[in-house]
Amino acid sequence: MNWRHKCLLDLDDWTREELSLFLEQANYMEELLNRPIKKVPALRGKMIVNFFFEPSTRTRVSFELAEKMLSADVVNWSASGSSVSKGETLRDTAWTLESMGADAVVMRHGAVGAADYLARKLRKASVFNAGDGTHGHPTQALLDLHSAWKKLGSLEGAKMVIVGDVLHSRVARSDIKAFSKMGVKIVLSGPATLMPRDITCLGAEYEPDPKVAVKDSHMVYLLRIQQERQRQGLIPSLDEYHVRYGATEDLLKFARPDALVMHPGPINRRVEIASEIADGNQSIILDQVRSGVAVRMALLYLCVGGGK
Amino acid sequence: MACGIRSISRKEGVLLIYIEKAHIMNEEDMKRVLRRIAIEIIERNRGLEDVVLLGIQRRGVYLAGRLKELLKDIEGVKVPTGELDITLYRDDIPTLLEQPVVHSTSIPVDIAGKKLILVDDVLYTGRTIRAALDALMDLGRPDNVQLVILVDRGHRELPIQADYVGKVIPTSRNEMVEVFMRELDGKDQVVITEESEVQVD
Amino acid sequence: MILLKGGTIFDGKNILQGTADVLIEEGRVSKIAPSIEKEGVTEIDVSGRIICPGFIDIHVHFRDPGFEWREDIQSGSRAAAAGGYSTVVVMPNTDPPVDNAPMIEYVNSKGAMTAGARVLPSGCVSRERKGELMAELGKMAKAGAVFFTDDGSPLANTNLMRTALLYTRDMGVKIMEHPEDSYLTAKGQVNEGLASSLSGLKGMPASAEYIDIAKGIALCRETGSPIHFTHVSTRMAMEAISSAKNEGLPVTCDVTAHHLSLDENHVMVSKFNSVYKVNPPLRSQDDVKALWKHLSQGVVDAIITDHAPWHEDEKDVPFQESPFGIASLECSVAVVFDTWIKLGKPVDLSMLLSLFTRCPAQLLPDPWKKELGRLEEGCIADITVLDLDESRTVDLAKWKSKARNCPWGGELLSGWTTLTMVEGRIVDSGVESYV
Repeated sequence: MNWRHKCLLDLDDWTREELSLFLEQANYMEELLNRPIKKVPALRGKMIVNFFFEPSTRTRVSFELAEKMLSADVVNWSASGSSVSKGETLRDTAWTLESMGADAVVMRHGAVGAADYLARKLRKASVFNAGDGTHGHPTQALLDLHSAWKKLGSLEGAKMVIVGDVLHSRVARSDIKAFSKMGVKIVLSGPATLMPRDITCLGAEYEPDPKVAVKDSHMVYLLRIQQERQRQGLIPSLDEYHVRYGATEDLLKFARPDALVMHPGPINRRVEIASEIADGNQSIILDQVRSGVAVRMALLYLCVGGGK
Repeated sequence: MACGIRSISRKEGVLLIYIEKAHIMNEEDMKRVLRRIAIEIIERNRGLEDVVLLGIQRRGVYLAGRLKELLKDIEGVKVPTGELDITLYRDDIPTLLEQPVVHSTSIPVDIAGKKLILVDDVLYTGRTIRAALDALMDLGRPDNVQLVILVDRGHRELPIQADYVGKVIPTSRNEMVEVFMRELDGKDQVVITEESEVQVD
Repeated sequence: MILLKGGTIFDGKNILQGTADVLIEEGRVSKIAPSIEKEGVTEIDVSGRIICPGFIDIHVHFRDPGFEWREDIQSGSRAAAAGGYSTVVVMPNTDPPVDNAPMIEYVNSKGAMTAGARVLPSGCVSRERKGELMAELGKMAKAGAVFFTDDGSPLANTNLMRTALLYTRDMGVKIMEHPEDSYLTAKGQVNEGLASSLSGLKGMPASAEYIDIAKGIALCRETGSPIHFTHVSTRMAMEAISSAKNEGLPVTCDVTAHHLSLDENHVMVSKFNSVYKVNPPLRSQDDVKALWKHLSQGVVDAIITDHAPWHEDEKDVPFQESPFGIASLECSVAVVFDTWIKLGKPVDLSMLLSLFTRCPAQLLPDPWKKELGRLEEGCIADITVLDLDESRTVDLAKWKSKARNCPWGGELLSGWTTLTMVEGRIVDSGVESYV
């Protein structure tokens, strides 16, 4: 099968076959991470710009590691203290990046659709969406998929429960797309104030009670709760959230005994997840991080590597 | 099996004619050649101590597998055999139309201090072997590296030679050497083909 | 003297049998007859086309004064003429806002110098458009304001809305309300529903529109003053207006060309192209259906553009950073008729035509109420000629408007106007040589 994507803006247009091929490619990349010398020359001479408008540690570091493993030249550009803070528009920044000869741009931006916008403005360079507002975080979905697939093998017919602030979560939106394409049934749970209005159009179901939702589930995915939600009055307090929706031993006993516990990080202990669960043996949170580098290597290699 | 035109296709006013020009090896030939190479390996290394076979993805992997069987038959020794993917080390990726996908690399032993025998189907420009050597050096420090090639078709662009050669076949640059293997293609065969374009209106 | 030959006549209410010629002399329609022969006139063959009263758009933004790089009264008026409109009403949310009589006179005098459509001013309901104290509505009415509106914002202060309704009850100039509950729409970007759920963007619920309309209807019932709701976009709101009308309340409303033809899927399918960002947001498919249904039942009083021009630099940004607004004056008529044809003509042609002519004229104060929106001997010669068979691609490069924030650029649409006339003067024509 030939690879046809030059960019990753969202996973809408990826087929199941492409996802399967991709997961295999990520596995080979993960093999590299076990070697004494991890670096390969696949992207030698390619210039990749990491363009982060919002603070991010793990996604940026993960991308940077992946780029360096593939021998790309890496430029980190953050919005604060750059031309952007002087009022430059994204359009002008895009053209500047292209004139400098960037082969690819990895962008995290607070505005929904910013990555799509950037891709429309760039003629040659690949664009990778490292998070666009509340809309999408496709590489997070790919790494979640990869780490779950490695544990479960086939995902067909598996059940995944996503608990938390789906309304504001780009991770949830991208994960729902990725996992449902692989045949996973998705159930969302959490307070109604943190749910999107139309859940069916996302291809998921809603069950308000997390104890009911997690029944027979193979994966329990906890979303990060931003403290801001309390200030906005969408939840009364973080503690009440923990009591009603947090991942505790009490909740997990309603799921399958071997259910995987997942979280995009960084975790808020005693808010969406109790420490004994985060650090327990069902948790694959650190596997997710490791998959992150492998998945981003596969992505960069397949999309930036060649193909005149 | 007769040689001749294998297929004709039409693309934007050009006829692409795909001709089989010569059959170089059949199943029996391949068997004999590999047996001879197996014996040469034993001879040159004075047995099989510290020898590791490493097939280059993808047909080299199957050739290495067959050599492993032959070495076991002849010497009664199970030689550790691995597979090496050189995709990430290729120097021609930016010139390719399609992005080549990565295949598995797995070597069952630590290669440090080993006599590493690389196995590939066709030796042409030498660039694949250059990439394979680079990949190997990242994996460890073998004692020495030897090269098995089923067909050497000439036209080297780098100073690389095979230690064991199945057959030397002089070719022109516009010809192709196609190796078919049972495991992948359902038959064992080596064929020279040529694709020619004929302008039509 | 101009003689239109062989067209079908739409008199503002009905499409007349057969074809007729229309003779225009000294800015008035002097004769309508099956066949008119006259020497020394400019003859224009309009066979196969419909001769209508000049089209009226009661809701456009010309950004003048204050934001003339986006549009000004001159460019906007020419754009309106090119789009088939002979009269437009400009909204007062300029800088400074049109909240006093001298500002009304500014719009009037600048409008009088334009070569395009007639430009009628509206004035703010509140001083400085702050939503607090009533502006000098009486003085503005006298100076020629045809609506009072804080458009761009609702009259969030219920007491102000009530006071303004009472004060204008016998003035003949209606309050035009931009229906929105700003608490519910704060930071909103798209329709709440499919678009908000798929994108994560803050949604603007239909209830936000409904609640303000319900408030306006209650005050209308209590005060007996007429109220006009503009750019109504949801089923919920339409149903409320429909029942208020059945009750006999003096409630009127309009819908935009884009809400009749686009829905929230466009935001998603276009991958957040900011050209689809508009307030009220593009709604659900069901809402679009409801607008057409109520339109066919006579609940709607006008079709508008809400022409909201922006400079390309302001609009060519990621969706979330973009201002709201669609500029459509130069293709809105085609957008409506093209949609109408594609939907299988769910409304009588005469009813649809009346929403561009007689119905919006009825919303205006005198003398416009009497003069505009009809086509008969002796009436003012504001004329729009429509060709339903004309198919054309929307070519933004040729626009008279300064704006390009239009979703239909490059699209082939059917049903274009081919001639626009204001007081007997041709202000735009599909065929250059007529002008």
